[in-house]
Amino acid sequence: MSKVEVDFGLCESNGVCMGIIPEVFDLDDQDYLHILQDEVTPENEHKIREAVRQCPRQAIAIRDE
Amino acid sequence: MTKPKVVFSPVSQEFFENPYEIYARMRDDAPLYYDEEEDFYALTRHEDVAAAFKDHESFSSARGCDLSMVRTGEVPQRSIIFMDPPDHRHMRSLLNKAFTPRAIQSQKETVTELIEHYLAKADPDNFDVVQDFSGPFPVEVITRMAGVPEEFRQQVRHWIDKSLHRKPGQIDLDDDNMQANIDSAMYYYGLVQERRENPQDDMISRLIAADIPGENGEMRQLDDIEITGFTTLLGGAGAETVTKLVGSAVVEFARHPDQWQKLLDNRSKIPDAVEELLRYVGPVQYNVRYSVKEVEVPSGTIPANKPVFLMGAAANRDPRAFDDAETFDIERDRTRAQNLGLGYGIHSCLGAALARMESAIALDHLLDFMPRYDVNFDGLQRVNMQNVAGYQNVPVKVLR
Repeated sequence: MSKVEVDFGLCESNGVCMGIIPEVFDLDDQDYLHILQDEVTPENEHKIREAVRQCPRQAIAIRDE
Repeated sequence: MTKPKVVFSPVSQEFFENPYEIYARMRDDAPLYYDEEEDFYALTRHEDVAAAFKDHESFSSARGCDLSMVRTGEVPQRSIIFMDPPDHRHMRSLLNKAFTPRAIQSQKETVTELIEHYLAKADPDNFDVVQDFSGPFPVEVITRMAGVPEEFRQQVRHWIDKSLHRKPGQIDLDDDNMQANIDSAMYYYGLVQERRENPQDDMISRLIAADIPGENGEMRQLDDIEITGFTTLLGGAGAETVTKLVGSAVVEFARHPDQWQKLLDNRSKIPDAVEELLRYVGPVQYNVRYSVKEVEVPSGTIPANKPVFLMGAAANRDPRAFDDAETFDIERDRTRAQNLGLGYGIHSCLGAALARMESAIALDHLLDFMPRYDVNFDGLQRVNMQNVAGYQNVPVKVLR
């Protein structure tokens, strides 16, 4: 099972990930990022990989378990 | 017949006038460019540049970010762009929450008012997009956020221009560059002193009040020189970049009137247009790093201890990464490759959301101000500057 990980030391709440797949990434009213669903599934994998690539801070990773 | 060897000089007149021709030759014939005369490397292919931006451990910023600084070997002033982690992270965390897309919404009204103010003063028959509009407005926004009093805000822009100017062939700073740096540093230093006495709701005051982890783990405060440096950088990075992007936008849309028409027909395409402008004519041409060890990139091996140009503007037109890379197309598939126009990785542009918002509002208002226009191409004047490109004059006549 692969999981989404965010390095919160790098994240600056640009919200690019949320724009790509809001079911997985969400920014709250204080601009903190929450992972709503950390499991990488065949359905969401393509978009999550897109979010990983497009994050301007390189703060998102997929960890294989 | 052998092709002539590719030569890239970051301060040649040829490069100032048209960097993109040189980029195409470097990408094709010398992806791992080495300059024997000046002893530096340059990367131009998208996969190389993106990999190097990500690998901040191999490609250090701590020696500075331009060739002149990196090769002196001296430790530069303590500024966020000349830092590696963890120092970089500490400094960046002081201000990054002020620049998130959501936080920046608080600047929207100011940006709109300033844009309307300068367009209201503009002469439609004789409009210089840069001097009358895209020069004056962004510097007002960022220096206001920083805490510079209104009467000094335009002066900041003239210091920046003077500081970044390079004569053909000039790599190191000359007396004029130095004088501008000294004048602006003296000004900001005085302002920091004033804010220490009398804090306001601005970034200088926030930096004065902030704590960062020091060398032995104890928290410490920034000194006046560090705050001066940070504020100088904000004023520079936050002003002349949007100035150039908007100036170049007007030129590119004059060359591609079908694309301007698409925006006239549908304003919701403005954000996509801003992204395409950042890719196609983004102002930042390159950032220089220093290889702290021998390092592999897709195109080969770079030895240790060399200045390395990461040429984002060249990568942004790499046909290996983008379909029809040399075509200006506001409707292109943006997921095809990472746009490097605002950098990538830990040093990616802190003010990205502000830059996007300012550019989008500017385009929206220009569409109203000059739905049809001619650019006087003979009057176009490019800047000659360290690592940024664009125009200093874009003369326009609005058609009625």
